[in-house]
Amino acid sequence: MTMAVTAGRTAINPRAAVLAYLAVSGIVYLLMMLLGLTMRLAQAQWIDVPPNFFYVVMTMHGAGMVGIAGLSSAAVMWHFVRRYIPVSTAVFLTNLVFFLIGAVLILGAGFIGGFGAAWTFLFPLPAHSGGLWSVNAAASYLVGLIFIGVGFLLLHLDIARGILSTYGGLGAALGVKQAFGLAPAEKGPPPAVTASTMALIANILGILVGAAVLVISLVNLYVPTFTFNALAAKNLIYYFGHTFINVTIYMAVIAVYEILPVYTHRKWKTNWAFYLAWVLSTVFVLTVYTHHLLMDFAMPTWTLVAGQVISWLSGLPVLLVTAFGTLTVVYRSGLRWNPAAALVFLGVAGWAIGVIPAIADGTIAVNSVMHNTQWVPGHFHTYLLLGMVAMVLGFMTYLTNPQPRYGFAWLGYWLYLVGGVIFVIAFLLAGAASVPRRYAVHVAQWLPYDRIGSIGATVAIAGVLILVARFFVGIRTAASAQDPT
Amino acid sequence: MIQDVVWSVSIILMGCLAAVFIWVATGASAAIANYGPVIDTAYRARVWLFGLALAVLIGTNYKTVGELPYINTLPKLPAAAVQPTQVVAEQWLWTITPSTFKVGQTAEFYVTSKDVNHGFALYDPDFRIVAETQAMPGYTNVLRYTFTEPGTYQVLCLEYCGVAHHVMKAEIKVTDH
Repeated sequence: MTMAVTAGRTAINPRAAVLAYLAVSGIVYLLMMLLGLTMRLAQAQWIDVPPNFFYVVMTMHGAGMVGIAGLSSAAVMWHFVRRYIPVSTAVFLTNLVFFLIGAVLILGAGFIGGFGAAWTFLFPLPAHSGGLWSVNAAASYLVGLIFIGVGFLLLHLDIARGILSTYGGLGAALGVKQAFGLAPAEKGPPPAVTASTMALIANILGILVGAAVLVISLVNLYVPTFTFNALAAKNLIYYFGHTFINVTIYMAVIAVYEILPVYTHRKWKTNWAFYLAWVLSTVFVLTVYTHHLLMDFAMPTWTLVAGQVISWLSGLPVLLVTAFGTLTVVYRSGLRWNPAAALVFLGVAGWAIGVIPAIADGTIAVNSVMHNTQWVPGHFHTYLLLGMVAMVLGFMTYLTNPQPRYGFAWLGYWLYLVGGVIFVIAFLLAGAASVPRRYAVHVAQWLPYDRIGSIGATVAIAGVLILVARFFVGIRTAASAQDPT
Repeated sequence: MIQDVVWSVSIILMGCLAAVFIWVATGASAAIANYGPVIDTAYRARVWLFGLALAVLIGTNYKTVGELPYINTLPKLPAAAVQPTQVVAEQWLWTITPSTFKVGQTAEFYVTSKDVNHGFALYDPDFRIVAETQAMPGYTNVLRYTFTEPGTYQVLCLEYCGVAHHVMKAEIKVTDH
């Protein structure tokens, strides 16, 4: 086994493998953004989309975006963490293969089978299609998710193996001793290792929980007499879903730790606060998911209060460590801005700024009147579209080193930024006006928000198209190039 | 309304944070500062910011956790002061009994579902949400709300429940006498 892995490592160019991840990511991001735009245009009543197809598009957009967020941010993590620990390129590529198999099953479930139970597949909705999709279509979707989950499980386990062989334990790799002043911070692990450790702890637990509820849903499809508690299923789904999507940011942020120091010529300073923030983030990510259940009054009240308090607490490490660290590294550093640096810097800004409406929504009194309104896609698009995705786009630009085509990339950057800001503000405004999320048909008074959002989305997608196109132009030479230093 | 306060506070804070990032970004290539003193100053500022954030966190949570919508946290009301109201959700309709109220009347909605997850969202006559809870199979969530103005309130489903989710609506009439 060890020999086979070793052979795999030498036979496959790791950098080419990362570029393969990013090539898939670029294409899927664009396709999923077009699906998102389709929904906004339909809500704006600028195009006609039948409701049953709208909800298929919505399901594919959600599942596709969550999946590709995981895949692209895993590429960031793997590229940098392999500088510090041994990892298997074969396992890394296995995850990509599992992802593609899962994607085919999910796309088939939606566009052939008509499956439209939302990416969250809340139990028992997959089995209650109203005649619109078959049991097999629902099963195809659920099995597709299982494939993707298994791929990520393998990837994280391989990284865990590498971390354990180098650091001896997950606590040491997370920097627990440094966090509590029991060891000098200078001897702590690199940020990429700390972040990767957090990601694997959270994602392995989340994926296992997700697998359990996916299997339960699958059995229920074919054996309807096998039922499960709907509230327990919701807990399992949000535990898995919340953890998986949040971990994408924690994987992508490694790009910030590694790329900004290259351009600012300043080392990312790790001290006890940095490690403590990551230790706390690990705990918070695994315990905060009940903020998705604030309107489930049957939940024990203490769990919902905990969901609110932890939501607020979880903002502190982001704002006070990573955002503050980013500002410190860049402040009067002499940095000559380039699109790669600007994108990862934007990513931190989008993440930090998006925390504010997210915390608001995590407050029970606010959630009572804003739950499942467009405030929700408003806040998560702020820290995902303008946060995590910006970090990934920055990484793509960094790897393909675009100096001769800076002008082109800058155009993409500004279209993406301006369009993205308009897009998320339209969502937030609509949420404040009580416009529901996940509605195929909107009433007349909601149309202005939809139309502003559609314009913003169009401009943002044009920007992403340019950035992705520029990535593909540089991909051939990037495979044999070195990272900028 | 809460939504207006949340929007205003959020957009101001988001704007302030964006301004800080823009300020640092635009000054990045100015005269290079020595990194050591920059870090020292930043860390001192961070201690103050941490204190400020903690104070806001404790204050806001102390205030809001005292105002929960959950029935087990609300004071018990005499039976005569509350109108029990049964709400049953199913794909894709609401059955609400009774569905007429008077201004000042307090309703306790007993919300459940026959099939999948639904979201009970009460919209006031200005079409803004005033209260929410989930409708779940196997559970009854109790939501208390006092009607403050006359008119037609609407109930919309705010948990995606299938292809006709967006037409799953009902009306509640509230009269002022």
